[in-house]
Amino acid sequence: MKALLRQSVALLALALLPAAVQALYLRDKIPWQSRVAESDLVSVEVARGWGANALWVDARPDEEFERDHIPGAVLLNEDRWNQLLSQFLATQWSPEKKIVVYCSAASCNLAEDVARRLREEAKLPNEIRILKGGWEAWSAQKQ
Amino acid sequence: MKTTSNVQRPTPNAELGQPRTSSFPRILWRVVAIIIGGLFIYAGAVKVIDPAEFARDIDNYKMLAWQVSVWMGFYLPWLEILCGLALIARVLYRGSVFVLTALMVLFIVITVIAKARGLDISCGCFGHASKYLSFAWHLVLDFLLLGGLVLLWKNAAPRSDAQLA
Repeated sequence: MKALLRQSVALLALALLPAAVQALYLRDKIPWQSRVAESDLVSVEVARGWGANALWVDARPDEEFERDHIPGAVLLNEDRWNQLLSQFLATQWSPEKKIVVYCSAASCNLAEDVARRLREEAKLPNEIRILKGGWEAWSAQKQ
Repeated sequence: MKTTSNVQRPTPNAELGQPRTSSFPRILWRVVAIIIGGLFIYAGAVKVIDPAEFARDIDNYKMLAWQVSVWMGFYLPWLEILCGLALIARVLYRGSVFVLTALMVLFIVITVIAKARGLDISCGCFGHASKYLSFAWHLVLDFLLLGGLVLLWKNAAPRSDAQLA
C-alpha cells in the first residue's frame, strides 16, 4: 500500500515539472486572470450606440435563433459552421463594420468560440466583440 | 468463523480464475496496457499543444475558478502523458493504473454532474477531436477506459509490483 502511494505521489509530482516549465514558457500568452479579456467584451448600450456600424452575429443553435433574435442579426453557429460562414461572408460581411457576437447568457461560451473562430480561422480584420450578458441582457434592456 | 491452520488458502491467481504464468493472457493484457497507455498519451498530447483551450474546456464545467482551470490546463495533460508512458514502459506501473483510474472516476463524475446541471458542453477529452462527442459516447468511452484500467489492475501487474495489489 505504501509503495502504491509512493508511486502515485511520484507520478503526480513528476507531472508538475513539465507543466511548470510550459506555464513559464507561455506565461505571456495565457489569459491568467479571466477567460475573456475585458477588451473583447461590449455592453448592450455601447453596441446599440454603434447603430448601422454593428453587425450582429447570433451564435446560438438554429431553434433559439428562429424563436427570437436581435433585429438584423445573422445566424452563425458552430453546428453548421462552414455553410453559415460562407453565407455570412457572401451576403452580410463588410470589412468596415464592427462584429458583435452573442449567445444566450453570460454563462454560455458559444459567442466566445464563434468570435475566436472568426478571428483565427476566418481571419476577419474586423473589430470583433462579445456581447456582455448575451441575449438575456439584450432582452432585459428591451423590456 | 475461525480459519483453521490446515485449510489451504487459494492463491490470488487461482481466485482470478487464470494463472499469471499463462503466456497468452499476459500478452493480451500487455496489448490492453499499450492501447490504454497510448490513448492517454494521445489525449494528453492533443491538449498539451493548447493549454488555454483545455483550460476553457475545464472552465465550461463551471466547477473551478478560472485561475485553477488554467493551472489544470497545464498540469492534467502532462499527468496523462506521464501515466500513459508509465503504463506502456511498466515503470511505476501500479501507481499509473491507480492515478489513471482515479482520473477516469473523476471525469465520469464531473461529466454526469455537468449533464445533471443542464450544461451542454464538449468534454475536451481529446482536444478538438472530441468537440462534437455526444454525452452518451463520452460516457461509453470513459467507462470502456475505466473498465480496461480495472482489468489491468486485477490481471496485469508486473511481477515486481504484484505485492502492491
